[in-house]
Amino acid sequence: MRYTITHSLLSSWLHSMKDNPYEDATTERDAGEELMQALRREPIPMNEAMQNGIDFENLVTRIAYGMSPEGDSWGEAAAAIADRVRGGIFQYKAYKEVQVGGMTLLLNGRLDVLKAGEIFDIKFSKNYEPGKFFGSTQHPMYFELIPEANSFTYLASNGSGVWSETYRRDETQSIIPTIESFLSWLSDTGLMPLYQEKWAAK
Amino acid sequence: MIVKPESLTFADKKIRMLIAGYPGIGKTTLALSAPKPLYIDVDLSAERINRDVLNMAAGITQPRDYKELRADLGIGCTELELQAVKNNLADFETIVIDTGGKLLTIMGQYGKGIEPKYGQRDGSLSLKGYGWLGKEFQRFLDHCIYQLDKHIVIVFHTIEDKDGDDVKLRIKAEGSSKNSVWEVMDLGGFMEMRGNTRTIGFSNCERYFAKGTRGIHGIRQIPELAPGVPNDFLTKLFAEYNAVSAQESEQAAADKAAYENAMQIGHELIGKVSDLESVNAIFPEFLKIPHALTSKRELHAEWNAKCKALGLFYDKVLGKYTPAPAAKDNAAPAPEEEKEAK
Repeated sequence: MRYTITHSLLSSWLHSMKDNPYEDATTERDAGEELMQALRREPIPMNEAMQNGIDFENLVTRIAYGMSPEGDSWGEAAAAIADRVRGGIFQYKAYKEVQVGGMTLLLNGRLDVLKAGEIFDIKFSKNYEPGKFFGSTQHPMYFELIPEANSFTYLASNGSGVWSETYRRDETQSIIPTIESFLSWLSDTGLMPLYQEKWAAK
Repeated sequence: MIVKPESLTFADKKIRMLIAGYPGIGKTTLALSAPKPLYIDVDLSAERINRDVLNMAAGITQPRDYKELRADLGIGCTELELQAVKNNLADFETIVIDTGGKLLTIMGQYGKGIEPKYGQRDGSLSLKGYGWLGKEFQRFLDHCIYQLDKHIVIVFHTIEDKDGDDVKLRIKAEGSSKNSVWEVMDLGGFMEMRGNTRTIGFSNCERYFAKGTRGIHGIRQIPELAPGVPNDFLTKLFAEYNAVSAQESEQAAADKAAYENAMQIGHELIGKVSDLESVNAIFPEFLKIPHALTSKRELHAEWNAKCKALGLFYDKVLGKYTPAPAAKDNAAPAPEEEKEAK
């Protein structure tokens, strides 16, 4: 039997591991409950931020395939990103089987764009600061999934500005130790059976 | 002048670099280690700098405002005037801006002067003003690089930004401009003391965002200056950058050429696919394409999409494509994905 691992599951776990998410009472998100929802594979209700992200990515894709950006308030920013990714493969599904901690795992990811040895991920975000994606599990996971890729670029936009953040393979740590820690944590907390039930791969 | 891409060497590229660090750590000294620097003291703080350090500059200017700096560098002037400025700056190879934060401030003040909409009543920049500032900063760098043909080194002070218990170091600059300046830089390093040693880090880490390209990565030790020791850290770094750049561009050009070749062959073959017979006839040839970079994945994704659109399915038992079973129309296994999943 093999089990699926995605970067978003690892991301939920790492987020829940942060010390007391309610410490400054500025967040309404319950990271622990979000992780349990992810472990149970419950669908996440759509919110405005998620919808904006989907809409923006769709706009970039349409512009990359020839649609005019004129008349759309996000058009200029989306066109700048479309210029970077045009000609690539959009929504590329990647899988890789690995052995970690005595378990057979199926790493699974959907790349926004794959083009000429580079992976692109399009982010729509109201706030951006350089280094925002440094701790993300996404580029380490995708480097593991696509061994031929040598760089991963986040293309972030708030609808008007565009910022890029590139990570190279040779300066990115492997995702495997993070997966090992996650599996140990599942065992220690008694949540391994739930993970194995819900995340069994076909 | 149009030349063949393979003839480009990038061996004498003009470099855009950002240096950040706490006050007093030696940012200016490091900046002046670039080749033949023109020191632009926007902060008007030259008197606080050690005379020996100041003498490392090949020239110095202390513009009172951005209008004066534009005139010094020939920004927005006529061709004739620009030629005069170029002659005047011929002895310099690098433009050092100290500090970038102050440059953005005087740039913003200039912007508000030329267009009232760029400012707000409280004196700060409006959203439009920040948009203009980002573009003007880009224009400024482009002018230094493409018109004046100089390296550019911009010094920024560091501020601490708290993220929970973590302290992150950021460059000190107004509003969103602190994010956009990174976009156009080739190199960006944070200076820190490690024990008694001055260092500069070019790789992202938990505490700061940095930028390294062309083999310039990780943390570099900055040699202590002493009598007889030349202040040439950046001069050597730029030479290393360009040497690696030339090597990498050669390798990248070879990879890109192989990639483009694979993609061209693949696209031609996929273009010929029109029905079951042609799929099975072309597939063996498709599998023989010599791949580079991610061409194999990209072409297989396109191939699978085409077969799926034609309602074809790869039968592993028969080892060839057949009409897809109706129930499995949307789940036709793609040979490449299937292989990876195992």
